[in-house]
Amino acid sequence: MTRHTSEHHPDLLGDPGKDRILEHNYDGIQEYDNPTPGWWHWLFWASIFFSVIYTMFWHFSELSWTEHQALDRAVAAHYEKIFASVGELPPNDETILMLMHSDDPDIRNLQLVAKGTFTAKCAACHGATASGGTGPNLTDDTYINVKKLTDIPNVIANGAKAGAMPAWKGRLTDNEITLMASYVASLRGTNVPGKQAEGDVIPDWPAYTPETK
Amino acid sequence: MAFATDAPGGASGTARGLESFSYDDAVVRKFMLATLVWGFVGMLVGLIVAIQLVAPVAHDLTLMGGRPFAFLKPVLEPIYSIEWLSFGRLRPLHTNAVIFAFAGNAIFCAVYYSTQRLCKTRMFSDLLSNLHFWGWQAIIVSAALTLPLGLTQGKEYAELIWPIDIAIAVVWVGFFGVNFFGTLLRRRERHLYVALWFYIATIVTVAVLHVFNSLAIPAGLTQSYPVYAGVQDAFVQWWYGHNAVAFFLTTPFLGLMYYFLPKAAEKPVFSYRLSIIHFWSLVFIYIWAGPHHLHYTALPAWASTLGMLFSLMLWMPSWGGMINGLLTLRGAWNKVAAEPVLKFFVVGVTFYGMSTFEGPMLSIKSVNSLSHYTDWTIGHVHAGALGWNGFMAFGMIYWLLPRLFQTTLWSKALAEWHFWIGTIGIFIYWISMYAAGITQGLMWRAFDQTGVLVYPDFVETVMRLMPMYVFRVIGGALFLGGVVMLAINYFMTWRTRPARYEVSLVQAAPLHDYKAPRAPASGLENVIPIARRADVFFQLNWHRRWEGLPVRFTVWVVIAIVAASAFEFIPTWIVEANRPSIASVTPYTPLEQYGRDIYVSEGCYTCHSQMVRPMRHETERYGQYSMAGEFVYDHPFQWGSRRIGPDLHREGGARSHVWHLDHFDNPRAVVQDSIMPRYSHLLTQDIDFGAMEKRVSALAMIGVPYGEALKDVEGAARAQAAQISAEMVEQGGPDGMQDKAIIALIAYVQRLGTDINKVAPAEAGQ
Repeated sequence: MTRHTSEHHPDLLGDPGKDRILEHNYDGIQEYDNPTPGWWHWLFWASIFFSVIYTMFWHFSELSWTEHQALDRAVAAHYEKIFASVGELPPNDETILMLMHSDDPDIRNLQLVAKGTFTAKCAACHGATASGGTGPNLTDDTYINVKKLTDIPNVIANGAKAGAMPAWKGRLTDNEITLMASYVASLRGTNVPGKQAEGDVIPDWPAYTPETK
Repeated sequence: MAFATDAPGGASGTARGLESFSYDDAVVRKFMLATLVWGFVGMLVGLIVAIQLVAPVAHDLTLMGGRPFAFLKPVLEPIYSIEWLSFGRLRPLHTNAVIFAFAGNAIFCAVYYSTQRLCKTRMFSDLLSNLHFWGWQAIIVSAALTLPLGLTQGKEYAELIWPIDIAIAVVWVGFFGVNFFGTLLRRRERHLYVALWFYIATIVTVAVLHVFNSLAIPAGLTQSYPVYAGVQDAFVQWWYGHNAVAFFLTTPFLGLMYYFLPKAAEKPVFSYRLSIIHFWSLVFIYIWAGPHHLHYTALPAWASTLGMLFSLMLWMPSWGGMINGLLTLRGAWNKVAAEPVLKFFVVGVTFYGMSTFEGPMLSIKSVNSLSHYTDWTIGHVHAGALGWNGFMAFGMIYWLLPRLFQTTLWSKALAEWHFWIGTIGIFIYWISMYAAGITQGLMWRAFDQTGVLVYPDFVETVMRLMPMYVFRVIGGALFLGGVVMLAINYFMTWRTRPARYEVSLVQAAPLHDYKAPRAPASGLENVIPIARRADVFFQLNWHRRWEGLPVRFTVWVVIAIVAASAFEFIPTWIVEANRPSIASVTPYTPLEQYGRDIYVSEGCYTCHSQMVRPMRHETERYGQYSMAGEFVYDHPFQWGSRRIGPDLHREGGARSHVWHLDHFDNPRAVVQDSIMPRYSHLLTQDIDFGAMEKRVSALAMIGVPYGEALKDVEGAARAQAAQISAEMVEQGGPDGMQDKAIIALIAYVQRLGTDINKVAPAEAGQ
């Protein structure tokens, strides 16, 4: 091999006729003494250079952040956005009724959040329209483990019937449980055709009397 | 080369010191036939599993206002209801058959044909050649029998049970390896051609990967547990899995390309220098790239970064192979138009280039956050498998057919048809999978303006893919149709073979003592001495010397791959901070472990992940993200690589036992649009309580702290089964299920991801 290969620029698209051929011959296969293409070299070096910079930024600098930090920020921002205006939501009659009936746009928005959570977590057993499946129909007037309004957050949090209804405490925050209770309570009486009524007819939910401030 | 009739006497040794010998083409013919047969079988199974993913809802799919597939319902029902044909069992059969049977036999066909000619010698031992052939086919047959029976180790592309693993090691190293290296040592050609470098890298690396990934402790003839658990098992598995792509589907096919492409084009290889540089960079860099399969998982961040960056650095070394292949065709493009063999090679090498651009792109973490667990990955691997491996193998077979059967190809026109129908098939497959992957990836992460998931119902994101899944079936069927054309051409060409094959005698001089060529002096003047030495080094004459020394060459390949592996492995093993523990995480109970074995056996990991990534759309959908310490008793890990169904890591406690019972029996009774197979057989199959002790003891041997629990394994399992059965009755479910396999599986599913919410045993005792 001569040492001047790099001075020859092979024609990549056209005729190889001018390229110097090596004296190698393997079962009739020969090889040209062509240099590696310049762009190939430069991209190879560029990928190495990028890797050094990337490593320095993400693993040896103060400016970087981890994927877990990014998640924590996103979760905090979401929670802030959803619940900032209402604060803590204790699972009592007043709060649940307020969440069910208030005209405040923030509260109506919360009901949309609850609907999404219902589809994600509850629909598998109670059905996409809450008309029942493995679990009972939530749109009629009868209930199995609920006698009064505040039983709903309790059943959601702790489950019922030996795990037929799973416990959601730990999977949903306290605020989310109260919110979900209000969403489920508001389904009562919509009477979506579905699973047969189970349990007993219970008294109506208490009336909503908006606080006047 | 001279034919027997011209050979001087036919005996070895002539006046000029030449030796006469013949090549063993019989074994090449066998491997070629096996390539075709297993290619057909593997791809047919692929077509079946593709149909399975639309079959359960096919009768309901609407197209132009009608339901065109409604009439197929009775035909399709068995393929998602029969246990031996369920997707989770057939998918590993498809991948193993295509990789190890189709691509494997194609590799052996290429190696046995070209190595003899490149070394100017017959294979080292005809006996080893035949042991290799029959041994490998026996392994394939045993795989095809065991996988549908649910006998698996549950690690992707390494599913085969331990006795078959041992057979693979024996055949690969003892028969293939010894035969190949024996041939190198007996060669009559001084220097090793680049194709042989790639074969060397293939043989040594696959041996290392297979042995270290398969280390397991048996618990019976068909049952074993990997010695690694959780994060370590994931790490080792994808070190293996990625490098199976590298050293089973890439390096040997590059070797194939370097021999058959210049042969078919009758043109010299573009650049010897490029061969050297891209070979060594490829071999060294590939090893590190595995962790890119585990981005955003519980793997330590530095490992994930290594995987991504080495994948990016791999782009140019890979493209070096593509450039050297395509530019070898300079001045021969007119031949490509006329010759189907070259058409297959051109498209094959082009797909190699596309896949090796896409691979690095998918390994970028932010791209991967979208693509991971979706069909994008499936599209990517099929661009490689159908385009690169498939077409390179087909090109080779069409080139070999007239030569090995000593006749002319029956129909060039049919080969042209195969090329075009195959190419169209790949494109339909590929594009539909891209569309499916990106669609589903975007649906998973979509939030509305209130910050709520737009598609919280997982099955909705699956149903959206159904049209693409139908197109995938069409693309796959076209590709398989091409293989049928090859089979016809193969058979008809074979029929016109001579009554007896002519055995050509070849003559070559034996090697004499090797004198290394002298390195040229540097022509640089007025520079410091080190610059002159560097100048000489970059002439690469040292590499020319290595090419004459196969043992040294092999040793350097081993050093390259072992060093790269060690750099990756050792920190994961020794740095304690990489293995965070969670006090409340305890071993699975014997019943749960038995259920887990069912989960592994049914191949649930082929559709379900157990790895919630730290992203809000995942934590909203599934719950708390998964942490490394939760998997310390997972032998093997079951993080999965594709979500055809939802993630299951936080499934424990999210639904009732009865829900699971109904769902396993018939998923569509609970989730209307589900495409999951039925698992009714688990409702009637009995739990083998007696088998549990052996399994739990095996796990205890590899460090699972069962302690006192080992004293009464069966009693504890029966008690837990009875309790679950009682709860099930209380929930309104059927009675008398406490002996059925389904109870063990439900026990496992209900345990999944729940330990972090428990009180640690030590604290509880206080």
